[in-house]
Amino acid sequence: MVGVFLLWPVVFGFVASFTDFSPFEPHPSFVGLANYAGLVSDPYFRAAFRTIGIFAGSAVVLELLIGMVVAWLLREPFRGRGAVRVILLLPWLVSPIGNGVMWHFLFESSAGIPNHVLALLGLPLQPSPLGLPGSALPATLAVEVWRAAPLAGFLLLPGFGVIPGELWEQATLEGVPLLGRLRHIVLPYLRPLVLAVAMLLAGAALGAFDSVLILTHGGPGTETLTPALFSFQKAFQNNNWPLGATSAWFIVAAVMILGGIYAALSRRRPPR
Amino acid sequence: MSGPRTGWRRRVRRRGRARAVILAAVVFASVLPLAWTIFASVGIHPNNTSTPPTWTLAPTLDAYREVGTAERGFWDEMAASAATSAASTLVTILIAFLAAYAFVHSTMRRKALLMQGFLVLASLPVMAYAIPLEDTVRALGLHDTFAGLVLTQAAIFAPLAVYVLYGYLSEASFDFEEAARLDGASPWRTISQVVLPMNAPGVVATAIVIFVLCWNSFLAPLVVTTSRVRTIPLAMSDFFTVDRELEWPSAAAALVVTLLPLAAVVALSHRTLRRFLLGRFDIS
Repeated sequence: MVGVFLLWPVVFGFVASFTDFSPFEPHPSFVGLANYAGLVSDPYFRAAFRTIGIFAGSAVVLELLIGMVVAWLLREPFRGRGAVRVILLLPWLVSPIGNGVMWHFLFESSAGIPNHVLALLGLPLQPSPLGLPGSALPATLAVEVWRAAPLAGFLLLPGFGVIPGELWEQATLEGVPLLGRLRHIVLPYLRPLVLAVAMLLAGAALGAFDSVLILTHGGPGTETLTPALFSFQKAFQNNNWPLGATSAWFIVAAVMILGGIYAALSRRRPPR
Repeated sequence: MSGPRTGWRRRVRRRGRARAVILAAVVFASVLPLAWTIFASVGIHPNNTSTPPTWTLAPTLDAYREVGTAERGFWDEMAASAATSAASTLVTILIAFLAAYAFVHSTMRRKALLMQGFLVLASLPVMAYAIPLEDTVRALGLHDTFAGLVLTQAAIFAPLAVYVLYGYLSEASFDFEEAARLDGASPWRTISQVVLPMNAPGVVATAIVIFVLCWNSFLAPLVVTTSRVRTIPLAMSDFFTVDRELEWPSAAAALVVTLLPLAAVVALSHRTLRRFLLGRFDIS
């Protein structure tokens, strides 16, 4: 089943990227690398590529960092720990579409959060950052991080349970500095989990689509245009099936490269 | 009296306070936008244009009444979302559980690499294959059908479920299974009456996560359905992009209504959900 609905479309998309195949084309023919050439010379696609580099890179780093800090602080039991763990899941429960709708209004001037803070401070109100060049991308990024960072903390938390406490205490007593302890005791045990979470977060960020569609529609200009959005617009709005499928294949390639790195890094065994 | 000891105590207490401050900030940041939305849905919102800003405090349920009238099919869409998500979750878990069980017991080598492959598949964004997927589902004659959407969603989320369930199953001890087998239980009976109950919390936690992912998925229903099967994220996106006149209170009410089922599931099962583990940690 996974083969039919997931692997087949991926492979088929790859083969089709060399042809002018489309549901509306009765006699598809081989066009070689024409689709790729078309993409490389497309300024929109190049812009989308640049955007997703910045977006995915910062999103994954920020989400992992926040997630690690949260999981670290929750590693020992205290009153209210269970409640905090459940709260970490709340932002993730909002669908990406719902998240887009929610933040669209929260960023708006008259009843939103940022402007309420400005108004409290007696400062002039600002228009929504989503429509402003220069701040649309950071705002979109913030929305993504808000949704995924607490989830990263939730997923990373069980990892701290497998670190042997006595090893940590012994190192502390022997005066090993914090960074050294993190590097030599925490990281080896956490590694498989951190890598798995990083892989999932990276995939989600590379496919950024739903909330961007609602928040900015790729604008202003091409500032927040992602490859997923580009591919979607080409295939379903401009009816340019070949270009859409070819650009989508770039997402597959990016995830596969990251997947290779992930598998290679996971190879090393943890200490026993 | 004992100087170093009190110094150590103070340091521990200070560290505890730092932890409380950071965690409080994270909780506050996570909850504030949601609380803002819930308040807006019942008519409580600030007016930032007046100085100093004032708050409108007139609790009303008008926005909730509006949801059903503004979007005529809203309740049908809720039902469609619930039905397709539940069915997709069931199919996903069934297939993934059997697959994970088979992988745990198989003698093949490099199983860790295979599991990492499943995780990479799980992280592949839907857009990467959405365009050929639409074509495939059409070719199978399943476009815009309940079964088409359910099978598509199950295929999308099965890799994640296999990865997670493999983690639980490979940790479990084989002793009871072995005993059941020696007592002459059939493989099916062994799985359904020994293996499944033993791993029930993990399976339930995985099912909840998959249900949330199905409930919130947008791109898959967008490309494999048109009008007969319409789920909530689709309706919300159409509503938002087509008629831009959506008001904040009614949007907030719609958000709250669509979030409630998930919040209820999570609230009821948070103890089980805490067992959700993203794989075994010594997978390698």
